[in-house]
Amino acid sequence: MGLLSFVLRRLGLAVFVLLGVAIITFILSRSISSNPIVAWLGRAASMYPDLAAAYAAKYHLNDPLYMQFYYYIVGLLQGDLGYSVLKGRPVAVAIRETLPYTLQIAFFAIVFTLVIGIPLGVLAGKYHRKAADYGIRAFYLAGVSSPAFLLALFLLIVLTYMFRLLPSGGALSPGVSAPKPFTGFILIDSLLEGNLSTFLDALTHVIMPSLALALGVFGYVTRVLRASILEVMRTNYIRSARAKGLDENTIFFKHALRNAMIPVVTLASLLVTWLVTGTLFAETIFTYPGVGQYLVQALSALDYPSILAITLVFAGIIVASNLAADILYAVVDPEIRLH
Amino acid sequence: MTRFKNPRTQYFYELLSYNNETKLGSFFVASIAVLAIVVALTGDGLLPYNPIKQNVGPALDAPSLQHLFGTDILGRDVLSRILYATPNDVFVSFLVVGVSLLVGALLGATAGYRGGLLDEALMRYTDIIFAIPALVLAISIAVILGPGIIHMMYALLIIWWPPYARLARGETLRVSHQNYIEAAKASGIGSFRILTRHVLPNILTPMIAYASIDIGSVVIIYAGLSYLGLSIRPPLPEWGAMVSAYQDYLVSAPWLPIFPALVIGIVVVAFSILGDGLRDAVEAARMG
Repeated sequence: MGLLSFVLRRLGLAVFVLLGVAIITFILSRSISSNPIVAWLGRAASMYPDLAAAYAAKYHLNDPLYMQFYYYIVGLLQGDLGYSVLKGRPVAVAIRETLPYTLQIAFFAIVFTLVIGIPLGVLAGKYHRKAADYGIRAFYLAGVSSPAFLLALFLLIVLTYMFRLLPSGGALSPGVSAPKPFTGFILIDSLLEGNLSTFLDALTHVIMPSLALALGVFGYVTRVLRASILEVMRTNYIRSARAKGLDENTIFFKHALRNAMIPVVTLASLLVTWLVTGTLFAETIFTYPGVGQYLVQALSALDYPSILAITLVFAGIIVASNLAADILYAVVDPEIRLH
Repeated sequence: MTRFKNPRTQYFYELLSYNNETKLGSFFVASIAVLAIVVALTGDGLLPYNPIKQNVGPALDAPSLQHLFGTDILGRDVLSRILYATPNDVFVSFLVVGVSLLVGALLGATAGYRGGLLDEALMRYTDIIFAIPALVLAISIAVILGPGIIHMMYALLIIWWPPYARLARGETLRVSHQNYIEAAKASGIGSFRILTRHVLPNILTPMIAYASIDIGSVVIIYAGLSYLGLSIRPPLPEWGAMVSAYQDYLVSAPWLPIFPALVIGIVVVAFSILGDGLRDAVEAARMG
């Protein structure tokens, strides 16, 4: 099978999955209670019957269920995710404001995950069953076993309260004004404005939440890389390289490592899922104004449209990253396209 | 080496004593389970202090011999509160994993053995569920059902079984081409009997190995949900809820949020060690 048809088939699956997720959020949105209007508008529903009627008309709540679903999907495609009572504006707008913050954290979390995870995996694989291997395994076991909030609180105690290195939370220090929103990413916007001190301030606020996330997931990278190195080192072509008389370091770094890195790509979906879950806690604890914090706030305010829309957006992020990883994997390893 | 009359008991004994990891893991897991059962049976009888009673010591007392994990703002003993929450956290996790294992094994094995439309539908359904982070989906479902521990368990059960169905399906495909299944088919045994008597027992071991790691994952997700306020109502203690209630004292009394969070981590580590070891043991047994 060619790469193109492989990509097209994966794309089809992605669309199918997203439709499925939309069905689930639709079912959830209609099973809140007998009357979704009450759930959405709260007491306002009984106080202002006109408003409730307008709402019912706008969201086609008096139509049969399959027509409601049709309007729901059409609305989604037009970017209508409902109205957030909590934020006082459309959910889509609120998500567009908060998502860049989460992506900033996620980007640095992925960087930290790779920077910590890959070298440790290489070390553990190279020094298999030596002290370094056992030490690294203990370290990553501790990381992956810790609930996200434990890591966040731990970093807060050590880096903020003990050593006073990093700010305890927020996206910018008090008194520092945010750059004019252009892309929505304050790190990029501050650079575009040429405001280096704002950029550095924003950067110090990004480090701790992303490090807390990375400490929870780097273990998966380390574990997979270690296992993959051990497997590659047992293959025939490594034996041939040894028989040729190549020195161990050349074999390890030039021949083994390159192939051993391939399975790490398969971790992408797990990592993204984990990071998305972790942002809920990291952003709440570090009061970082991203989608994770938005979801937690929506949860305590029982802001159903926001909760369901964020569920949908998170699923979209995961499906997109799965798709990217699948395609990347097929490019790196052509054998995979056959299956 | 200990010998058991029942070959299946013997097999599980050998798996659990396969290496140091499985031995250490089973010891920890057994201790946690015993602790949970004892606390469930005796209530607060054996605990150092009543977990709900206020002012059993001075408020915000640092860890000491009287209060090993210190006391909270209401003068309640933190150690007693953590211990008292054990059965709740442990039983929820066992129940969710147990039911998922059962449902997943039955559905997955049937789908894998029969193939066809059921198989296709099951796989596509799991594709959809896998696209939503478990915690986020659990939040959406739990919010719609309303808070409370029973509702949260429903939410977890809805989303937790698909990986088991996947695993069971894969294992069934592997098993169903083996000679003993062919032999069973040839001797005219019905599909239902083949499934329950010949397929299921042979796919169960790898599933149990997966389940033992997975209990740790449920502990983490459950802690996360109760951290977000979706489980038990105060004053009853719960690990995740304790962390969120105590994190305001991070500066003045850091032990308050750290101890319950550490306990969650330790429980997860115990199940991970056991599960990792079991996976190796199952792999080794398969290689013969």
